[in-house]
Amino acid sequence: MALLDVRDLSIRYEPKQRAAVDAVSHLSFSIDDGEFVGLIGESGSGKTTVGMAVLRLLERPGRISGGSITFDGTDIAHLSQDELRKYRWREISTVFQSSMNSLNPVTRVEAQFADVIQCHTALRGREVTERIRTLFDMVLIDPKFMTAFPHELSGGMRQRINLALALAIGPRFVVLDEPTTGLDVVVQHSILENVRRLQAELGFAVLFISHDLGTVLDLSDRTMVMYAGKIVEEQATRQLLREPLHPYTKGLLGSYGDPRAETVRITYVPGRPPDLAHRPGGCAFAARCPERIDGCTELEPAETEIGDGLVACHVAAIQRGAADNTTGAEVGPAIRTFAGPQFVKSAAESAEAVRGRPLVTVDNVSKTYVRRQGLRAVRTEAVTGASFVLRRGGVTALVGQSGSGKSTIARMITGVDAPTSGQITFHGSDGDQVVARMRGRRLRSYRGSVQMVFQDPYSALNPTKTLGATLARPLINFQHLHGTQLRDRVIDLLETVALSPGGRFVNRYPHELSGGQRQRVVIARALAVEPELIVADEPISSLDVSIRAEVLELFDKLVHERSVGILYITHDLLSARMLCDEVVVLNEGKVVEQGPSLDVIRSPQDDYTRLLLDAIPNPFAATRD
Amino acid sequence: MRYFVRKIGFFVLTLWAVVTLNFLIPRLQPGDPAELMVQNLAGKNAQLNRAQVEAMRDLLGAPSGSLLSQYWNYLVQLIHGNLGVSYTYFPYTVAEVIGKAFWWTVILVGTVQVLSFAIGILLGAFAAWRRNSRFDTSVTVISTFVGTLQPFWIALLLIYGLGYGLGWFPTAGGYQASTPGFNGAFVYDAMSHAFLPALTLMIVTPIGWILGMRNTMIMNLGEDYIRLARAKGLPDRMIALRYAARNALLPSVAGFALALGGILGGTILVETVFDYPGLGRLMGEAVGIKDYPLLQGLMLLTAVATLLANLIADLLYGILDPRARRAAA
Amino acid sequence: MSSTQNAVLPEEQVAAAGTDPVDRWYRVVWSSKKARVGVVVVAIYVLVALLAPVIAPYGPTDGSFTPLTGPSAQHLLGTNVAGVDVFSQVIYGSRVSLLVGLLGGLLATAIALLIGMVSGYAEGTVVDDVLTFLTNTALVIPVLPLIITLVAYSDTRGIPLIVGVIAFTSWAGAARSKRAQIITLRNRDFVTAAKFSGDGTFRIIFSEILPNMTSLVAAAFVGAATGAIGAEAGLAVLGLGSSDSVSWGTILYQADAAGAISQGLFVWVFVPGLVLAILITSMAFINFGIDLLSNPHLRED
Repeated sequence: MALLDVRDLSIRYEPKQRAAVDAVSHLSFSIDDGEFVGLIGESGSGKTTVGMAVLRLLERPGRISGGSITFDGTDIAHLSQDELRKYRWREISTVFQSSMNSLNPVTRVEAQFADVIQCHTALRGREVTERIRTLFDMVLIDPKFMTAFPHELSGGMRQRINLALALAIGPRFVVLDEPTTGLDVVVQHSILENVRRLQAELGFAVLFISHDLGTVLDLSDRTMVMYAGKIVEEQATRQLLREPLHPYTKGLLGSYGDPRAETVRITYVPGRPPDLAHRPGGCAFAARCPERIDGCTELEPAETEIGDGLVACHVAAIQRGAADNTTGAEVGPAIRTFAGPQFVKSAAESAEAVRGRPLVTVDNVSKTYVRRQGLRAVRTEAVTGASFVLRRGGVTALVGQSGSGKSTIARMITGVDAPTSGQITFHGSDGDQVVARMRGRRLRSYRGSVQMVFQDPYSALNPTKTLGATLARPLINFQHLHGTQLRDRVIDLLETVALSPGGRFVNRYPHELSGGQRQRVVIARALAVEPELIVADEPISSLDVSIRAEVLELFDKLVHERSVGILYITHDLLSARMLCDEVVVLNEGKVVEQGPSLDVIRSPQDDYTRLLLDAIPNPFAATRD
Repeated sequence: MRYFVRKIGFFVLTLWAVVTLNFLIPRLQPGDPAELMVQNLAGKNAQLNRAQVEAMRDLLGAPSGSLLSQYWNYLVQLIHGNLGVSYTYFPYTVAEVIGKAFWWTVILVGTVQVLSFAIGILLGAFAAWRRNSRFDTSVTVISTFVGTLQPFWIALLLIYGLGYGLGWFPTAGGYQASTPGFNGAFVYDAMSHAFLPALTLMIVTPIGWILGMRNTMIMNLGEDYIRLARAKGLPDRMIALRYAARNALLPSVAGFALALGGILGGTILVETVFDYPGLGRLMGEAVGIKDYPLLQGLMLLTAVATLLANLIADLLYGILDPRARRAAA
Repeated sequence: MSSTQNAVLPEEQVAAAGTDPVDRWYRVVWSSKKARVGVVVVAIYVLVALLAPVIAPYGPTDGSFTPLTGPSAQHLLGTNVAGVDVFSQVIYGSRVSLLVGLLGGLLATAIALLIGMVSGYAEGTVVDDVLTFLTNTALVIPVLPLIITLVAYSDTRGIPLIVGVIAFTSWAGAARSKRAQIITLRNRDFVTAAKFSGDGTFRIIFSEILPNMTSLVAAAFVGAATGAIGAEAGLAVLGLGSSDSVSWGTILYQADAAGAISQGLFVWVFVPGLVLAILITSMAFINFGIDLLSNPHLRED
């Protein structure tokens, strides 16, 4: 018998002011003792809602509207909070999404272990302290931090402590909800290693919820893929990698490429998930699906067993003989890859770009910040002796973790900050220019050549302005356009970034667009002044994986068609390889390695680069051998 | 430590600002308030001696002398605790007059403040914990309505209802039959006189705490650490007190002193309506008769008292919230 | 559910409700039953104030009646010591309260906006330090004693003086919250993006940032107006009201001075206080609706 058995679970959100939403509908899965099961989904898929329901922590306006959650033979879906208490933490515990807020900010960490240990066990006094000490050892944290307050710990430490806390009473089942999202790759990697080791040692079962395909596939025995409130595919992870059944799964897998390959191909899923308040008839994915047949938009696909797995897809079922082709539509042979748009980056084009003329020369640049703290001056060296070159028609990645100094370099290149020593030269079309801290008119005219694309497209567009108004600003300021000329140019820009027909987008507000579309608008705004250099700060990291390549492709097109230079700032070597010709690796303010992307990734010379490379989850390693 | 140093520094600076404001207000007025006072006193057949006239000039402004030297003389007077003589209560000095009224108000407002803080926090926390229950709804609706009533109006209604109507409590003054002193009869007398003013303030002052506590608590209940505490299967009481209320309390503590300023405002009106012998009535009186020395003295005193209370609340906050100590560093 | 989104701005919440800006505001605020009641009641008060000469049976200073009579058909609320009809005073009194509320609210909000925005935008500079100190000081000094002291020196007190003093002493809380809001907004990428689009500081503050603070500014205005109305009433009760017009506070002052309660003239005290309380409650209700915009946690869903 399964440890956890979820049958036909439906969860409904019923806000007073808006229409009710079925965030999860008729969902079934089970988890065996000691099994590690992953649940992948993109934002809005309902994955976190499922986790909360299993923990029975759903809050208003959400509620379980149907189905059962059987834990160890008892249906816990409808138990009262009092009856649930004997399951909580002793049987089922959890680690929430990494955030400052899972620990009570005003009490010491130790007390937050002690209360739950004393609540559920007979341990008291010294025994409790001993137990906490053991738990700290388990997650490799010095027990001296027991008496710390949460804010005194780093994000990584807090998340380890949360893990230790989850294991405090030795539960049989742990829900990990995005436990490492937002942490640096290296920290993320080491925490997940820790999870993997402890799970093997202690044998608890895990439901691992994440949007990050790489980590889920890397860790889980079995993987479930969620889309629009339903599980669309469930297979043993190895099998899923070898033969994905659902087109959406193929799309997700397609968004990963092997960075070591000569030519990287990644696909993306165009469009956006459906609004669950107005769920379309038929398959929810049909509108974005390249393998769609006629029946897909009419009849909702049932979960079909194929081999050891399950899939909810008409096409997959027909292809594998698990269902009859009643509509008589043409169904091709089963394929492994996503048949949608793809983005290709070959080593050859990079080799050519590396020969481009220099656009910016960064020569032995250092930056020291002096912060006053009372009477003392605290000096922080953010960047030390960095040298590299950005080229016209080329993309250079600046790779490093947070605090590596990459944002400081971006600030200096965009003229917001001046180097303490060394020199940055911009080889613009109207002659060379030394970039130092600029103000007023000079800074303004420099921005006619250097523009930025931001990390979070939700924050980079003013929610109170229409796209037209946003795009008009640089055109008015730099090109002094007005009237119909201005309008034509705005529409032009929208169409350049594939928001067409442009006329239809001019009067839209940002909230009406998907994340990918918003990022296109941000790029369009940067293009308005026809810049020579674009600094892109993590432009895809806040987008859902299935649409990332859509933005990368747009960048790539710009480089080729307009021969702008792009500085791509990222913590992620994988995406750097997909887009960039050259890579500069930054660690603690120093450039530790630079060179053509493929060379750096295939034969890293520096230890730190290797560390970064190792931290990239590589689910495909398992299928390769 | 830095946090505490900063807060004490802020206290010193604001104290200076208040003292300076008190210096400037009479000097910014058209006419010569000091001269007016001297003449008015003379009209009352109350002659000031030289030193008193000089003090009056130092405090309320002189026609000659640079502002800087005036400021210096003013500070010297304050350091000696000299706030001048009261026009109304001549020959008593302002310090003496205020001294007599001081404890009446401190005891009244102190009791009200502490009680309403405790009641407000408890009701607010409980309402938030049982959110959308009948209890919560009635507490919120009643508080919202009562919170908008003017204290002096409530005072008048109470006088009408409980005072004249039912005759349960005296409606004016601080004591009546007995002579002041620490004995049973006087304490009883004083308490029965203080009852209606206290009740008036007790109706109004907890409202802010109730609604404030309820709102912060509701926000805190949405935080991850509360959900985690639930997932831990801790008893409800522990989650409510140690996790939710403990955190929600912090903004209320920070706001404790600011609310005191508001209560003092309400007290002026309530004491005036009840003719209660405290600082508030004194202020109402001083305004009516244009007793500028007394008025300035009262302004200074209430401001300094509020600053002190604010300092204490800040220091307490620093002890309660481990993050505050670091954020200021 | 999404992991990477930042806290949502109030205006994004508003934006999600509809397309046309006016329509959005209307929808969110109107969705609160309390706010609806508040808007209707305040509208009635405004009508009464505008139509005072039509509604009131007598002039507000017409002292040609028998003094100190109780309620009757001629004098719904009786007459005062000077033989003026109290009901007419109450009707005309709405003009003073609403005018003080409107002007005091506008002035206090303007001061708060100016200081809060400059200080927030200049965060970390000396300008900010000075303004923040000023704000914090103004915040801890008890307001009513200060207002009383300031007003006490003038013999003739017109509405402009009262409005000025109230606004001058009550901007601090709003300035502080605006500073905090502008700091979070200023660090949003769209502000940096506006700089890259070549916009100047002035334009960024007023065209990029301010539209994102409208709900906060509106709430601050209603709050300041409510405070001003209350403060005016308080001053008037102490006999420090406007010397050339009658407000509800003045009526209460006259009633208290005439010993209305001991003479059993209860309605004289009851009605002016009640109309004041109803107005202030309605304004608080309106702010409930506006608060729903800026604080989604308070929404009852």
